[in-house]
Order: sequence, then C-alpha cells, then structure tokens
Amino acid sequence: MDDKRARFEGQVLPHLDAAYRFARWLCRPGEAEDVVQDAVLRAFKGFDGLRGSDAKAWLLTIVRNCHLTAAMQQQRRAFVPLPEEGDAADGHVMIANDANPESETILSDQKQVLDRLVASLPEEHRTVLMLREIEEMDYAQIAAVTNVPIGTVMSRLARSRAALKAKWLQEVEGSPRAVL
Amino acid sequence: MQCSESLRVQAYFDREVDALSAAEIERHVERCSECRELLQDLEKVRSALRSGISFDAAPAALRARIAQTLEQESTLEQESTAAEAGNTATRLKSRTRRQTKGWGGRGFWGGALSGIGGAAIAAAAAFFLVVPSLVSPLSNELVSAHVRSLMPSHLIDVVSTDKHTVKPWFAGHADVSPAVADFEAQGYRLIGGRADYIDHQRSAVVVYQHGAHVINVFTWAATGAPNLRNTTLSGYHLAFWQQGDIQYCAVSDTGWDELLGLVRLLREQT
Repeated sequence: MDDKRARFEGQVLPHLDAAYRFARWLCRPGEAEDVVQDAVLRAFKGFDGLRGSDAKAWLLTIVRNCHLTAAMQQQRRAFVPLPEEGDAADGHVMIANDANPESETILSDQKQVLDRLVASLPEEHRTVLMLREIEEMDYAQIAAVTNVPIGTVMSRLARSRAALKAKWLQEVEGSPRAVL
Repeated sequence: MQCSESLRVQAYFDREVDALSAAEIERHVERCSECRELLQDLEKVRSALRSGISFDAAPAALRARIAQTLEQESTLEQESTAAEAGNTATRLKSRTRRQTKGWGGRGFWGGALSGIGGAAIAAAAAFFLVVPSLVSPLSNELVSAHVRSLMPSHLIDVVSTDKHTVKPWFAGHADVSPAVADFEAQGYRLIGGRADYIDHQRSAVVVYQHGAHVINVFTWAATGAPNLRNTTLSGYHLAFWQQGDIQYCAVSDTGWDELLGLVRLLREQT
C-alpha cells in the first residue's frame, strides 16, 4: 500500500462512523451511504490539503459539501428524513445491557420517540444539535462543518434544544417531566 | 419572552465562555429563575439525547465499497504520477482518464470551489490552517494506538464493567497498576481493559464508553518526559496527567469538556 493511502487510512478513515452518522442526519434514508462514499473519495483526492489536525471536522465538512452538491444536482428541496423501519430497534440492541425487561421496553419506546422527534427537526437545526451533543464538537468546529458563523450556531442550538423539549412535552402529555 | 441572557447561559452550559464570563453568568443565574430552569432543561435534553438516541456504525458493505474505491483511486494516482514523469504515451492515457472521470483531475479543492462557493472553502481552510506547531512522537504513538484499538476486536482484552476484574488483570499484563473505576452515573461506562505498548513499556489501558465515543486511558510508568501537554492530533484530543509515578493519557474524539470530565473523575479517585 502506498504512503498516501496508509496515512489516509490512519488519519481519516477512523472518522468513518462519525461521517456516516452525520450523513444519516443530513440525508434521505438510503442516500447516506452514497454521500459518505463520495465524500471519502473526495477527501482522499484532496488529502494533501489537510494540513491541520482536525481530520474529523474536515471529513464532516466534505460530507456536508457532497450532500449539498448531490441535492443541488437533483434540484431537490430540503426535506426531513424519517428513521428507517427497525432503526430504533437496531440501535437499542446495540446498546442494550439492561437486566430489567420492563424498563428495557420503556427505554426502547423512549428511543423510538426520541429518534422520531429529532428527525422531525429542520435539517439545519438537527445537524447542529447532533454535532454538539453526539459528536461533542465545540462551536468553532460546528461553525466550520456547517459553514455558518458561530452566532448562528448558537441560535440554532438554542432553537433546536427548545423545540426538542417542547416536542417531547407534547408527546408525553400528562407526564411532562418524564425524561426531558 | 426569553431572558436576554439565554444565549450566554447556553454558552456557559457548553463551556464556551472564559472564567470571567462564567462567574458573571453564574451570578446572573442565581437571580434569574428563567435561566435556572433553562440550565436544567439543557441538561435534560443533553442526557436524553446521549443516552436515548440510536446511532449506527458505518455498515460493513459501505466500508468494503470504500476500501475498493480507495484501491482504484490510489492505483490511478500512481499511474498518473508515473505518466507525468514518463513518456507522452502514458500522458495521453492519463488525460483520457481525466476526461472520463469528470472532476477527478481537478482535485478536491477545485471541484469543491466550483460546486459550493469560495467563501465556504476559505472559511474551512482558515479553520484547518491553525496547526499545532510541534507534535511529539509520543502523541503520535498514542493516537495510533487509539485508532488501532478501534479496529474490530482490538479494543479490549478483558471485557468487564467491574473494576475488581479489570484491575487485577493488569497485574500479569502490564508494568503499572492504574486507577480503575466505573463512572456510569456520570456517563463514562467502564467497558474493559487492554495491554498495549507505549513509550517502550507495557502499558495498561482502561477503556471507557461515553455516548458514541470510546475513551482509551493509557497508563505507563512516568519517565519524566517533558512537554506532555494536552494536545489535539488528527481530530483526537489527548489529555495528559501524572499521578504518583504513573503517567496517564486519555485519548478520544469526544469534546474536550467531556474528556476532561473523565480526567477530573479519575484524579479525584485516588
């Protein structure tokens, strides 16, 4: 294997899972894989341009650009993907280590509701929220990946957090303090 | 109507403010019940998302497709390099490839510029040009070990969420006996331990899971090596500290805040 490819596989490919998660939040179900594959190829071609240390934010930026390019090419309006059937259950199986079947069922229901609520947020709100809470990126990284000023990152974060809380309360009316 | 300080309170929650502003905001929150409630809500949304959202790893089929694409592309690039150095016949072949492959020849930045717009790229470039000037070989070694650990079946030698299983295991497999504890309640779940080789020693690695992220805590006998300062390399944060004669380094692609949270817990442990 040549040197460039070895360096690429060492520095960039470890972030493939994060790239895939990000694409899933950005794209229509079924499109994430193509976008990620396209992004990795572009990243490889432009790998010499990666001079900084933040390979993860760099790869995610490319994923977003690829998503936009694809969306533009297809002249498609932005819309909201819903989780594919069985997604929530899969995630549950991956993480499950709960001994109590009853609380497991409740947890599983909550996961499905949460997945659905997150999917119902506008794309630019959902991605900022997920980059902060799941990818644990700071404002500057999120601003770079989503290509908006930090002030916009802050207001989108605030709105998406408030919206998610409101949606959750609406969903579990009668037990407004259940989870959120 | 929201309190006009709500965005600053959020920034405080996300640890994006300096110590001076933090003190100011804390004083404000004491007086403002709305912002107190906001802080609680932020925490609830965060813990609900981190414990409740489902996320998948990249499917194996996608990994295979990517490996294949990279194989093809690096072969093409090598041919193309050979062509530039070589004779006209190969140069012609390379040009044909460029035409058939669309923007392949223009490279990433060219393609991205035409597709997305210069401002985006300029901003991204400015962001990524902030480079740490000096990278110690040890940091490289630690990041490589972390990345290696993420490959299938490399992560853990002893799978256990019980510190009384993990800690004794190290006795026969590493040169140090590090602090091991489970911080599940704080969001850092102990998932096991591993023996590794760091700084020419048998290192004990304690592995934690934090949401979607794996945190490797490497430990080895301190050799008094200077310049072990917290750093970021290839998107991974490295937090160093020393306790007694043991050198610790926590490595992960979590946020700094989240990584230092575990460091704090571990330091309080002993």
